[in-house]
Amino acid sequence: MAAPSADTAAFFRMEGVSKRYGGVRAIEKADLAVTAGSIHAILGENGAGKSTLIKIIAGVVAPDEGRMLLDGREVSFASPGAANAAGIACIFQELSLVPDLSVADNIMISDPPRRFGLIDRNAQRRMAEAALERAGAADIHPMALVKDLPLSRRQMVEIAKALARKPRILILDEATSALTAADVSKVFAVLKRLRQEGMALLYISHRMHEIAELADECSVFRNGRHVATYPAGSKSDNEVIEMMIGREYRHIFPPKGTVAAEAKPVLECRRLGWTDRLRDISFSIRPGEVVGLGGLDGQGQRELLLALFGVLRGMTGEIRVDGAPVRVSSPAAARADGIGMALIPEDRKTEGLMLPMSVRENLSFAALDRIAPHGIINRGIEDGKIEEMVRLLSIKTANPDIPVGALSGGNQQKVVIAKWLMRGPRIILLNDPTRGIDVGTKQEIYQLLRRLADEGAAIIFYSTDYDELIGCCDRVLVLYDGTVKTELVGEGITDRALIASALNINAGDGVPASGAAA
Amino acid sequence: MTDTTSDPARRFPSFLRRADPAVLTAFVCIALLLVFGSLYSTSFLSPEYLLQQLKVASFLGVIATGMMIVILLGQIDLSVPWVVSAGAMMACAAAAYGTAGVALAIPFGVLCGVAIGLVNGIGVAYLRIPSMIITLATNAVAQGLMVVYTGGFSPQDSAPEAMRWLATGFLLPGVPNAVLIWAIVGAAAVFLLTRTTFGRSVYAIGNRERAAYLSGIDTRRVVLIAFAISGGLSAFGGVLLAGYASKAAQSMGDAYLLPAIAAVVLGGTSILGGRGSYLGTVAGVILITLLQSILSVMQMPEAGRQVIYGVVIVAMLLLYGRAPASR
Repeated sequence: MAAPSADTAAFFRMEGVSKRYGGVRAIEKADLAVTAGSIHAILGENGAGKSTLIKIIAGVVAPDEGRMLLDGREVSFASPGAANAAGIACIFQELSLVPDLSVADNIMISDPPRRFGLIDRNAQRRMAEAALERAGAADIHPMALVKDLPLSRRQMVEIAKALARKPRILILDEATSALTAADVSKVFAVLKRLRQEGMALLYISHRMHEIAELADECSVFRNGRHVATYPAGSKSDNEVIEMMIGREYRHIFPPKGTVAAEAKPVLECRRLGWTDRLRDISFSIRPGEVVGLGGLDGQGQRELLLALFGVLRGMTGEIRVDGAPVRVSSPAAARADGIGMALIPEDRKTEGLMLPMSVRENLSFAALDRIAPHGIINRGIEDGKIEEMVRLLSIKTANPDIPVGALSGGNQQKVVIAKWLMRGPRIILLNDPTRGIDVGTKQEIYQLLRRLADEGAAIIFYSTDYDELIGCCDRVLVLYDGTVKTELVGEGITDRALIASALNINAGDGVPASGAAA
Repeated sequence: MTDTTSDPARRFPSFLRRADPAVLTAFVCIALLLVFGSLYSTSFLSPEYLLQQLKVASFLGVIATGMMIVILLGQIDLSVPWVVSAGAMMACAAAAYGTAGVALAIPFGVLCGVAIGLVNGIGVAYLRIPSMIITLATNAVAQGLMVVYTGGFSPQDSAPEAMRWLATGFLLPGVPNAVLIWAIVGAAAVFLLTRTTFGRSVYAIGNRERAAYLSGIDTRRVVLIAFAISGGLSAFGGVLLAGYASKAAQSMGDAYLLPAIAAVVLGGTSILGGRGSYLGTVAGVILITLLQSILSVMQMPEAGRQVIYGVVIVAMLLLYGRAPASR
């Protein structure tokens, strides 16, 4: 009640809210005050705690500590429905519409108007029309099926759906990323009108120009902590980047290697494209190089790795291995001898391992053709290779026949890496390999990657942790909106440069100077 | 496999300690059924009766082997009834074409099953049709083709000598050939599932198809082969049944679909795929066979028998469903 803040217009505030996932701190002692009739932008790099913050406000996750006040009364939301009832609506980046229902059904899905216990379709249609009108999307027919609408129209329906609940606080999480430029300006007009009507909007976006155009207030988060809240326009881009930089610990990274200048590229990509997620990506990598993929989460890094590994259908462009064009149509083709690729996938639990199966079986899956010459597994060869891998990566397992699910996260990840090393790959693609594992194992993985590179492997390494990119990579390709916007080399790989290029803003002249000096 | 089934009482504890609790449960249920049966009539424990049951179980055992491989993938094969019939009818039909026909009768019958299995496999692996739908459809087509072929009556061709010998003869004294065949098929299945690339891949796909695919396993080929094996083994089961009865009959396979699935699942194989051992399937097959036999010996009316049979299967599945699923 007696909040010390002088800001009396704030009708919703969070005080000292914390949330941990296992041992990982997602957000710690965060404060946030939301004012009616304003647009509040939330900024932060990957893992800064933005999405956790929103999930707490929207009732998706419950905070471990701290409190939330609405109109001065303490509230807690047990479910998204409870948050809705309190006047909080959320538009997530991933769409939440049911494709086979009509637009009107979708808009009114949580609380359709009823008559005699049945849905009053006429009333529903009228209400949906009104909501679409309000969202600036009156061109969408309320009886159209959602699956027949293009992506940008669906996003507009999503906005109308949120508005139909008549919220006091509207949260938009990267809600404009699927929209066309024309739609974005329409949505902006709508948002500005809603602000005038007294609604509070929380706006999360990585597009700095959008924030500059819309926001009244900005809050910066870093490492799960609230860093600062300032009126929009009072800080320069450089100052904003400065606030987003900074982590609490530094890993110890192995020294970087040197790549023979005359070495021929082992992998070259020319103008790779895939739907609208990858555009015109060209790069090459030489043996012994560790090339990082940077940028904010979801800018096409995962798709690029999957495309190289032959998982995506309908890819355009050319891939060359050792100078000769190759067609990689499946992971089986990608791992074949002439190409020799390996992919450490993003989610070890669903893509890398069969958790109930043994360490032995999991280790052998990518190299079955090596240990089973005629389709019959040679236990002698298998045991030898497994022993070698367990030793090489110091995988801590009682014996190779226990289920891999019984190992710690770090050891599971080692199994995923080891299963590919069994083939002796020449091109190793890693999709965020250190996520959710302990610091000790992380360092072992960094050293392993460098050793593999020194032995002649070419490594492409996507990480959401900028520290890793700075510490491990010889070069970093920063992706933005499905294409390589910036390439950072050697000393040019700095916090500042990474964040600036991830946000696609020009960080001015500070780029080379802030690296590890002399 | 034969020694695990012929001498129950003494051998179980030693290796079942390591085994899946579901497999253990199945063997305990077998023991309970035998005890229960022996209270009713002492002849339930006679070697003749047990051997006879084992022989009857062999036909189901061969069919359930193929079913198990498909279920391990996380799929199902509902085309069993008419693949069994088609295998039996086509083998008998081939035997009507002179000596060459007689010689090729068994391979021809099995190949017909493999062909149907390949259609199932192409549908599931390449066309991405749910296995429940495509196998039901091929079952209907197979039924239609067989009805056209026979005119809707029991076919007149009788099973050649070789088929009768396979099903009813004795190569080894005291061991019916059918049991011997099941032992060979079972040993081959154990080898296939535990010692080959194919077997590892089957478990991998059943656990996580995406992870298997990303490991570079040709998942579609594995699925295709698994359905072909299932079709071939179903048809082979039909060939044996025709040999046993001396001729093929309409809908002779109808009685094998549910028991085959039930045997696999009662033996601890996860209906969702990825987990299960062949020993469990052996136990499941024997359990189902004994249950059917005891109900008929007790002269339960057909209707009551069906009800009890169904209730027991549901009860056992519920029992297993309580076990932690570890998925």
